[in-house]
Amino acid sequence: MIICPNCQHEEISGAIFCSECGTLLEGLTGFTTQNIPPVPPSEVAETVDEKIHTAPYSEADVSLCIVETGQIIPLDEREEFTLGRSAEGQPILPDIDLAPYRAYENGVSRLHASIKKQGRQLIATDLGSVNGTRLNGQKIPPHKPCPLNHGDILTLGKLKIQILIRR
Amino acid sequence: MTELFNYYNLLEIPFDATDEEIRTAYREAARRAHPDASQNPATAENFIKIQKAYEVLSNPEQRSNYDLTLPATFTKPPILLTTLYSRASIQKTGESQLLYVLVKLAANSDQQKFTNPPLNVCLVIDRSTSMQGIVMDTVKNTAIEVVRKLRAEDIISVVSFSDKADVIVPAGMNQDRTKVENSIYMLNPGGGTEIFKGLEKGFEEVKRFRTPKAVNHIILITDGRTYGDEPACEFLADQAAHLKIGISSFGIGGKWNDTFLDRLAAKTGGSSMYISKPKDVDVLLKEKFRGLGDCFADRAFLKFEVGSGAELRYAFRLQPETSPLEKASPIQLGSIHQGTRLEILLELLVHPITSEKATLNLVKGRLFFDIPHRADPQYSMRVDISRPSSHDPDPMPPPQMIIQAMNQLTLYRIQERARQDVTKGNIKEATRRLQFLATNLLSQGQRDLARTVLGEAANLQQHSSFSEDGEKRIKYGTRALLLPPPKEEKGL
Repeated sequence: MIICPNCQHEEISGAIFCSECGTLLEGLTGFTTQNIPPVPPSEVAETVDEKIHTAPYSEADVSLCIVETGQIIPLDEREEFTLGRSAEGQPILPDIDLAPYRAYENGVSRLHASIKKQGRQLIATDLGSVNGTRLNGQKIPPHKPCPLNHGDILTLGKLKIQILIRR
Repeated sequence: MTELFNYYNLLEIPFDATDEEIRTAYREAARRAHPDASQNPATAENFIKIQKAYEVLSNPEQRSNYDLTLPATFTKPPILLTTLYSRASIQKTGESQLLYVLVKLAANSDQQKFTNPPLNVCLVIDRSTSMQGIVMDTVKNTAIEVVRKLRAEDIISVVSFSDKADVIVPAGMNQDRTKVENSIYMLNPGGGTEIFKGLEKGFEEVKRFRTPKAVNHIILITDGRTYGDEPACEFLADQAAHLKIGISSFGIGGKWNDTFLDRLAAKTGGSSMYISKPKDVDVLLKEKFRGLGDCFADRAFLKFEVGSGAELRYAFRLQPETSPLEKASPIQLGSIHQGTRLEILLELLVHPITSEKATLNLVKGRLFFDIPHRADPQYSMRVDISRPSSHDPDPMPPPQMIIQAMNQLTLYRIQERARQDVTKGNIKEATRRLQFLATNLLSQGQRDLARTVLGEAANLQQHSSFSEDGEKRIKYGTRALLLPPPKEEKGL
């Protein structure tokens, strides 16, 4: 049985369109019949962890997701990236410029943090930023490397970035 | 040309016969030709041939070797059949499920060039008083233009009817076309509408020159409702279907009975069309003649049995002319054109699966058709609709073609349901359906049709009925959505 999300009419499974209101039903089949409980973040990290340890990061595809806007920034071709925002007259530019993502308003420093692929691990380091860096809500001490996992949220000032790792 | 001798013809079975069919045909043939049953020495010889035929065809290896020796005209199917399913497999569950099947039939392009078959067509023209004026003039002018374009081998006849019918142009060979034109030109309106009388005369005319090598068709042009003779017309349509004569209708304006004319079309494999403006007669009638002339295979019909675990809920022809089809065997499908595929969409209800069988046989049948330009026009091929069963649901979405067709067909069916509601006096339901329909049409950019639908929804609330014109405009409007976008001119 499929319930039409638009008019609540019951359709026989296999129906492609709702016969009452004409809404496309295809693709709903799996969602209406079961509820998927939200998985606590720690569990996600654990399950992903296992997979990740089997392959070095050089093969992995790492990207950053700006949580607020959903934009994706891929991290490839290098081992280490500095994160920050560009400003006029700045001599050293960060590898990943967060200025387009409202970095200034969110209190991101010009050189805020770095992310490094080290063997099998992905490591974040705060570079002594003014407003600090948080990993899953916990402040990390400056200049001290912290390991990252898939799904972690890294907060630079107030700018939230999710770490995405795909094998 | 005499029919070629081969083992298949001897046993009177098609080339794609199953082992089961071969066995049954062999038993039947052997029984008839058995030396005990007849003293004729020729029969005894025949009996030996039948034995030999069965020996070869019942052995897969020998059969395929034998097939290689047959001419390509016999072994190559003239029609290519493709079947698309909405699901790759059917899940074993305790629930009923729907399966959509799109059957596509196309002329095999490997076939050699052929000349279009001759036409044997009767125009049955309503000359009731209401046709007077521009409508009648357009019909006459178009008919004359069509006659001018006919080839020498085509046969045309014209019947006009009101409350009585006259054959104004009898069917015949070597007709004097100028005389035909004049007779059409002289047509004058007057009187009521009794469709049966016209159809009956038209049927007689087509029947006289009916051959399997021609396209035999009756085209009815009317603007009115016939009173009381519908059952007689339907009976005549059954006879026509039996003699392989198609009936297509053109309904002008809002007064005619579209469900009735749809039934005539569905019974014979023809079509029904709605004409809102007189000048559409011109376009549509010419198109109809082009279609009839472009016929590769005619009088296609599907004879079938639905498996015990399934039910055929809906059948619709998407192409070349959109039309609802009968749900019971045999389904008349009309003709397969040279350039356009014949496409039908079936909705099957599959009951909860109880058996452990790996394959579910849903429909078993045979498609019959005539190829007029062939020495032996009759042909048939196997149509099997079956699906493997699985424990898990098929994760793949249905083919895009099925989704697209269903998208539009769903709208047509909402319209059908709204009409059923009105007949039952369920105005509130019908209005709700029309509003859904209008929403969908708007989202597809069909503004004019959406406006008509909303207008009818308002009409329903005021008068508890559709306006006659609007009802048909919605029906044929939603039906037209199913047509493929107009093809680009050849050579571009």
